[in-house]
Amino acid sequence: MRHIIKPLFRHRMMPLLVVLQVALACAIACNALFLLQQKLVPIVTPDGVGNPDRLVVAWNIAPRGQPWPSSRLNQVVSELRAIPGVTSASVAGSFPMETMAQMNGNVLGEGAHPARASAAVYIGTHLRDTLGLKLVAGRDFSATEEAVAYKNIGLDASGPVIITRALADRLFPGGDALGHVVRIGDQPDAGQRTVIGVVEHLMRNKFGQDDREDIDYSLLFPGIPSNWPVPIFAVRSRSAAEADSVLKAVKATITRELGPDMIQGMDPTYESYGSLRDHMLAQSKAAVWLLSGVSLIVLLVTVVGIMGLTSYWVQQRTRQIGIRRALGARRANILRDVQLENLLVVGAGILLGMVLAYAINLWLMHHYELTRLPWTYLPYGAALMLLLGQFAVLSPALRASRVPPVVATRSV
Amino acid sequence: MFDYYLRLALRRCRQSVPMVLLLVLTMAIGIAACMTATTIFRALSGAPVPGVSPYLYVATMDAREAVDKDNPDYKRPDSLLKLADAKALVDAHRAVQQVAVAQSLTPLSDPDGKKSEQAYGLMAYGPVVQTLGVSLRHGRPWTEAEQAANAPVLVIDAHMAQKLFGTEDAVGRSIMLGQRSFRVIGVSAPWKPRVQIFNLAQNGGSVMGQDENFFVPAQAALDAGVGPFIAGECGKDAPVVSFQSAAVAQCRWMETWVRLDTPAQVGDYGRFLAGYADAQHDAGRFVYPPQAKLYGTQAWMTLNHVVPDDVHLNLMLAGGFLLLCLVNVAGLLAARFLRRQGDVAIRRALGASKRDVFVQHLVETGLLGLIGGVLALPLTWLGLWIVRMQPVSYADAARFSPGVFAILFALSVGVGLLVGILPAWRVCRQPPALQIKIA
Repeated sequence: MRHIIKPLFRHRMMPLLVVLQVALACAIACNALFLLQQKLVPIVTPDGVGNPDRLVVAWNIAPRGQPWPSSRLNQVVSELRAIPGVTSASVAGSFPMETMAQMNGNVLGEGAHPARASAAVYIGTHLRDTLGLKLVAGRDFSATEEAVAYKNIGLDASGPVIITRALADRLFPGGDALGHVVRIGDQPDAGQRTVIGVVEHLMRNKFGQDDREDIDYSLLFPGIPSNWPVPIFAVRSRSAAEADSVLKAVKATITRELGPDMIQGMDPTYESYGSLRDHMLAQSKAAVWLLSGVSLIVLLVTVVGIMGLTSYWVQQRTRQIGIRRALGARRANILRDVQLENLLVVGAGILLGMVLAYAINLWLMHHYELTRLPWTYLPYGAALMLLLGQFAVLSPALRASRVPPVVATRSV
Repeated sequence: MFDYYLRLALRRCRQSVPMVLLLVLTMAIGIAACMTATTIFRALSGAPVPGVSPYLYVATMDAREAVDKDNPDYKRPDSLLKLADAKALVDAHRAVQQVAVAQSLTPLSDPDGKKSEQAYGLMAYGPVVQTLGVSLRHGRPWTEAEQAANAPVLVIDAHMAQKLFGTEDAVGRSIMLGQRSFRVIGVSAPWKPRVQIFNLAQNGGSVMGQDENFFVPAQAALDAGVGPFIAGECGKDAPVVSFQSAAVAQCRWMETWVRLDTPAQVGDYGRFLAGYADAQHDAGRFVYPPQAKLYGTQAWMTLNHVVPDDVHLNLMLAGGFLLLCLVNVAGLLAARFLRRQGDVAIRRALGASKRDVFVQHLVETGLLGLIGGVLALPLTWLGLWIVRMQPVSYADAARFSPGVFAILFALSVGVGLLVGILPAWRVCRQPPALQIKIA
């Protein structure tokens, strides 16, 4: 071991440059991969919507002057339901993947020290049906429950609620959430909602950077939010083949019914849920491409750098290697020595890099909406860098091991 | 001497083309990444209205007139005021210039209704053209007398004049705005803040500024049935209004912007503003302590996160990447130079000083940096093109500007010299005798 470590201190520049390079690459790659993973969350998380190709969404519908009364919206929904090929129609205050209109709130479980979570609230008629959410426990809202009339938006009203399994597990860790009460907010007169059903998944429509855990925390209320300025209509068609004709009919119906009262200069969007989802995730996807590209180039540049430096470093010591060979060292010994040396240098770089990565993350957390870098990233990052280091050193090490012993006798 | 070193450097580059290519490409990629991020950052983070916005301040206060039990805390400064409060602040004339504005989206048409255009514009109380630094090409801004009389006059921009009348000089023509006919009294040059500055709390994440096609006195527009695009915050018991409504008497929908030139003026105005707000609170109108505060444009934009975090993060990422490329190139250069210690030793033995050797190597790395910069130019262009193709709200900011050339040139030469310092110093440090021995 000593014969490997000692020369590193005698000729400091080359090993130092490698250490610095590895440390920088490590810090950049760790943080870039962490950002990437966060951007990936909404893309890979199931949104809970069944048969998305049959769902048609009409949004960006804004009334001029005053919001439409709930009765008017209900009327439009029944018109939509009458379209041939439609199995279910809804009007809602907010909608999965539609980030312009959001209802978010802190929800609390039961007891003296209730579990809390930040969750999205979707208020709308027959949403479970229209979204095609899969019930895993309990039941859907009844017709009477759907007919509720709220005094205002409905967030502070009490009644029944359907929640996602993830939220149920979070608020009621004991197990069955059915029949328990969820409070919407901290106020003493906050809305109290009894859980009547649990659905498998329903993604919230807020893609911040702090949504790794709570992205599947959603609640479903029946009814229509009163005085809500931006209603969203959704319609489920019987089959994917009929979705196109249904979309056209939806557009015609809404234009006919609400068009004259809409704001001027901004047209509503009618599209399939699939295309809405693609639009909303496009930015995240672009960021994923960018960050993976950057990470890849960072690693590539580092590998090339280590390769270049090590091959020079080996070439410099050709004579010494020759002497060692002449003194009886085998090829395998030389190979192993160069690899071990690389392991040490890269290892030092990784240690420094991890500290740096963590410091950068802390600084970013302080200045931006970022969460803490989970420590589980560090061993993975370290393993990756060590592997890359070994890969980079392979060719110079092999060259070193092929140095013939006779070199020792030359040019002294 | 310099051109001799240059020829020497060129000859050496030709000797090992693959290595030089690697060095130059690494630098080019680093520089291009940095330039792409810098271009976007520069476009978004500069003054939104150059020469004007550094002196503009927006008034904020908790002006709620009813208890809001859902949001009892005043978590984020609020710039929206009722028209009455905005008028009071403007009429006090305590700043150099002051205006209350709200954005509107409404159709403008010529009198016979043949041509109609959707237009964004500002409803204003006060001298909007002067305060925001809008330059007029024809005509004049409205006078205080016209404003007080709610005269139906407006200023349109040159684009709108072209579209509606086919000529830029539209002064004296009539335009239908809402239910009334307005007289054009001025035509402005196109005016658009580089990034969004008005009603930041409610503009839903848009980043780039909006062309303002018309400027109209607020009360005259309300009289014609034209209201702000977003009604802002209306009282709990007030009739609920949403978009494009002129029934906003119960709503807070105007922002007051003031021009202040010196820190003393800023301090004075801040005290005046706090005094006004506290008086309203004491009189029982504002139910919460108002916490009135002035914000400069830049601070206001930072507070409201107008420039997305991603832009900052990408800039840092690119900076870190460039640093990595620099270390990498420095290492490769050191290896390259030290391999040639023999040549250096001969030069030293023939009388070249350490300084000569140092300069010679710096010239070589400077040359490499310059080549890297030239290569980085198309790469930066490519990077900006890729960003423009992205579905991001700031895609429009990714445009090549002349200033970028200068930065690119300086950066590449700087990079070339910076990476060369360590290797060049290393190569000229060893005594010639030892180097000859090694050779």
